[in-house]
Amino acid sequence: MRTYRFKYTKGEELKLLGYLDMMVAFQRAIKRAKLPIAFSNGFNPHQLLTFASPLSLGYTSEGEYGDLRLKEELAAEEVKERLGAQLPDGMELLRVTAIGDEAKNTMASLVAARYRVTLPKTIAAEGFGAVLERFWAQKEILADKKTKKGMVQTNIKPLIFSLQDATKENKAAMEMVLAMGSVQSLRADAVVASLCEFCGVPFGPYDASYHRIDLYQQGQAGFVPLDEEVPLP
Amino acid sequence: MKLAIPDQVLLQMEKPARYIGRETNMVKKDPKDVDIRFAFCFPDVYEVGMSCLAVQILYFFLNRREDTYCERAFAPWVDLEQYMVKEKIPCFTLETQSSLKDFDFVGFTLQYELCYTNLINMLEMSGISAWASERTEDDPIILCGGSCAYNPEPLAEFVDVFYLGEGEVLYDQMLDRYKEYKKMGKTKAEYLESLLDWDGLYIPKYYDVTYHEDGTIQSFTPNHPKARPILKKVIVKDMDQVFYPEKQLVPLMDVIHNRVTLELFRGCIRGCRFCQAGFVYRPVREKKVDTLLRQAKSLVDTSGHEEISLISLATSDFTCFSDLADGLLNEFSKDAVSLSLPSLRIDAFSLDLMQRIQEVRKSSLTFAAEAGTQRLRNVINKNLTEEMILNGCKLAFDGGWNKVKLYFMLGLPTETEEDLKGIGALADKIVDQYFEIPKEERPRPVTVTASASCFVPKPFTPFQWDAQETYESFGEKAKIAKHSVTRKQVRFTYHNTKMSSLEGVMARGDRKVAKLLYRAWELGCRYDSWSDLFLWDKWEQAFAETGLTIAFYANRVRPYDEILPWDHISVGVSRRFLMEEREKALRAECTPNCREHCSNCGAKSFGGGVCFENVSV
Repeated sequence: MRTYRFKYTKGEELKLLGYLDMMVAFQRAIKRAKLPIAFSNGFNPHQLLTFASPLSLGYTSEGEYGDLRLKEELAAEEVKERLGAQLPDGMELLRVTAIGDEAKNTMASLVAARYRVTLPKTIAAEGFGAVLERFWAQKEILADKKTKKGMVQTNIKPLIFSLQDATKENKAAMEMVLAMGSVQSLRADAVVASLCEFCGVPFGPYDASYHRIDLYQQGQAGFVPLDEEVPLP
Repeated sequence: MKLAIPDQVLLQMEKPARYIGRETNMVKKDPKDVDIRFAFCFPDVYEVGMSCLAVQILYFFLNRREDTYCERAFAPWVDLEQYMVKEKIPCFTLETQSSLKDFDFVGFTLQYELCYTNLINMLEMSGISAWASERTEDDPIILCGGSCAYNPEPLAEFVDVFYLGEGEVLYDQMLDRYKEYKKMGKTKAEYLESLLDWDGLYIPKYYDVTYHEDGTIQSFTPNHPKARPILKKVIVKDMDQVFYPEKQLVPLMDVIHNRVTLELFRGCIRGCRFCQAGFVYRPVREKKVDTLLRQAKSLVDTSGHEEISLISLATSDFTCFSDLADGLLNEFSKDAVSLSLPSLRIDAFSLDLMQRIQEVRKSSLTFAAEAGTQRLRNVINKNLTEEMILNGCKLAFDGGWNKVKLYFMLGLPTETEEDLKGIGALADKIVDQYFEIPKEERPRPVTVTASASCFVPKPFTPFQWDAQETYESFGEKAKIAKHSVTRKQVRFTYHNTKMSSLEGVMARGDRKVAKLLYRAWELGCRYDSWSDLFLWDKWEQAFAETGLTIAFYANRVRPYDEILPWDHISVGVSRRFLMEEREKALRAECTPNCREHCSNCGAKSFGGGVCFENVSV
């Protein structure tokens, strides 16, 4: 038995594919690749395959992660090659690492995510850097947050670890690292909604384009990608 | 590949993955590199169409030709359709997101009658006139095939060519000639005329119809010297030699059936008198077990699916079923691939098999009893007795099953109140059967679901002359059946009666029905087989405005000497045989199945299949 951590992308081609469908596509790719995947015990055995975090419909990503467990040990490179060849167009396997059994799974390790968001056209590219600075300089950044009690205005500033201007080609854009994990999480579109309100422009859920750059765990000196500083076999 | 619809729009639609293509095993070609572009259309939503075996077979069959790129198009769901109409975006294919208008051929597979308005909608959305007479040389050739093409007349004014029979037979020669004609600079009209060389292709414009004053057909005559007075369907003789895809398209989203399908045989030996498929697909032609095992392995390997479904009209009738089941179980049980066996007759053998393939999960058992009494089952030649049903249930209950589904039809010819009450009686007896198990051995409560559909007389069946009940009468009959149930463990449901009436009109309609269809489409009808989208008031308006009636098409007995709209088509089963079967039905006499005794239906003329299985001297 051996567990492998894999990092993959979800490109433009598949941004309209839901998270559950993506998981099924992975399961089928594993079967086609004929990897000796291990199954859970129980009445309805399922593949031992887990993913770090759902990616919202419409988002693209170059830093998604999951773990899979094989019944027999294969070279990580072979797993990458065989599985990579079977993934649908638009999903690319970037890296596969064999990890130790004591490693926490991706979901449990996750603490933050880095995004790049290209903002709605209503936010001008010119002077956006200064706008973003003023936005960040607010004492509290208020956003609607869904809680068990319904929508509540909360201060999301503590959940934003970094926020930078990433404007390119005359399109206002920003890059940010947000809390994400079992303890605390912030959705990228919540920041965009708050920014829109700050700028006095309407927020539409489909106006911005969202791209996830990476998922992080707590490393020895700050955040590191989920497949770095992992216990090896 | 850029999508035809902007992302922001698709994100607001239900299930945007319906429109993106890119499925596993999708064929990629550059349209510039091929001579022929073929849009294969399914006039319903993606997840329905992608569960259709015809789509899988013909997609790969056509794409095996280097000179042809077959792409798929489905009806956009109503949310996106509304946007597309507003923005004037044409109906598009998934592969290259091209408008249907950009294709040489636009082919529809017709699997049920209530999809006809979707066909009109898909053409009109694409800027292609639905009326064949209004189309020009710049428009694609509109083709239709599938089981509903056997009565093509309701769509005759819309379609250029109806393909009668199995796709593997004629497409190659049709496409070869198309390429040849295109290179020679010939016109579409010349091409269509050249198709008169072959049987199996019905081109409506070469036939004229006149009507009596009462609306019945006076004459149906070819208007071209080469047009055949009778067109005979074409079928594959040798199912082991014919093309079958080694891989199937694997949708990225959930569809109706998430599995690969293995076709065991075509046709059916039974001859149930209400069943159109049982006549139009004759004779039975089987594949060999070796062929099937090879095909199954390849399909599972290339799909990653966890389920393989054995498809045919009556799976238990496969002659080497036991060998096949053993072979498949040996091959796949270790890989967690399960078998799905629709249309299985319930007996000791099949229950044992089901025990083996679904060790833990006990799904429900299904019996297509069709009628509530033995007399009526004899009328329809359904050779299933109450004893067989109760024995099957007993075995199943002993084996741990506790859910039974029963299918019935309301309004079968000769039906009486006693037959309707028999529905409840049979369901109750099954519950009684369950309670014969000692109380301590009953794991869970028993449930019996009795579902009734409304009988629709279909062309090429012995009941093609018979009257269908009106929807009002279906409703009353459903009430009688419902009230005949006394046990609380039995749930009774029945099908939308108005939809069944409309299906009755389409199934046996003539060319005049085209204006009804078109008017209904103009009034907003489409997706008529979806009860929540079915607009009965619009259909009523369309009937009133076009002067057509349900009564004329559905609710009257047609005399034997009336010209039926599909009389120029032959499925190989003779009219004489159907008449004899109808007379036997009225006497409640059964006809043996094809393997017991050949009844000379006429299908032997195809020169293959079950008709030649036991040729004894």
